[in-house]
Amino acid sequence: MNGGPIKRRIFMRQHRWTHARLSDYLDGELSHRDEERVEQHTRICPECSRLLATLRGTLRELMGLHDEPLPSVADGVIERLRRSW
Amino acid sequence: MRLHADRLYAVVIRFGAPGGEAEEIVQETFVRAWRAIGRFKGESQFFTWLYRIAINEAKRHMTRRAAQLERVASDDMALESIGDRAPSPQLRAEHQDLRAALERAVRALPMDYRIPLVLRDIEGLSTAQAAAVMQLREPAFKSRLHRARLAVREAMEDYLDVEDQA
Repeated sequence: MNGGPIKRRIFMRQHRWTHARLSDYLDGELSHRDEERVEQHTRICPECSRLLATLRGTLRELMGLHDEPLPSVADGVIERLRRSW
Repeated sequence: MRLHADRLYAVVIRFGAPGGEAEEIVQETFVRAWRAIGRFKGESQFFTWLYRIAINEAKRHMTRRAAQLERVASDDMALESIGDRAPSPQLRAEHQDLRAALERAVRALPMDYRIPLVLRDIEGLSTAQAAAVMQLREPAFKSRLHRARLAVREAMEDYLDVEDQA
């Protein structure tokens, strides 16, 4: 980050603010104004840009776990509940 | 009930309970729900209420077996058994490392952070629903979720191709 100490301080403030809101940004839970603020910062901050990209990838993989096949336990559970009641 | 049982099983297994115990927890959840059905006032959605009971039941089991579950959390066997049920061997081969690492990263999270991530990101509940399950205010829930995501992301960084993500 080039520039004087004031610019650097502003940048770091934006950096911390953005870092804390990347999840909300990805979840679409920010106001339009805050979304723009995140986008503005991630355009000039390689660290936040990378964090956003890898967070997005992580979420995509996590969502994929939902469809990971697991055995159905419903029949067994229902049968045992029937027997116990 | 069939659908709820299978979804609860998927949730509980990701909380860290091994298969047999997860099934037991699901069963106990329904027993407790049945006994308490009179107290369900319809102020929350039925599945939200059911998830809450399952979480409490899972925590009860885990407290009882904390030492054992610590071992299970770092045990690849449970993860491999999930991978073994994948439908396509080719797909499994491609994603095995990534999925196993992801499951490991999720299980490595402390319970208070693992639950928000499982409910929101894997089960697909909305922030409001998942916060309600955990009986947390949304800002507190979001803070835990964000920290959990950051921890999983850090663990997964080597597996993620940044060029693909933009």
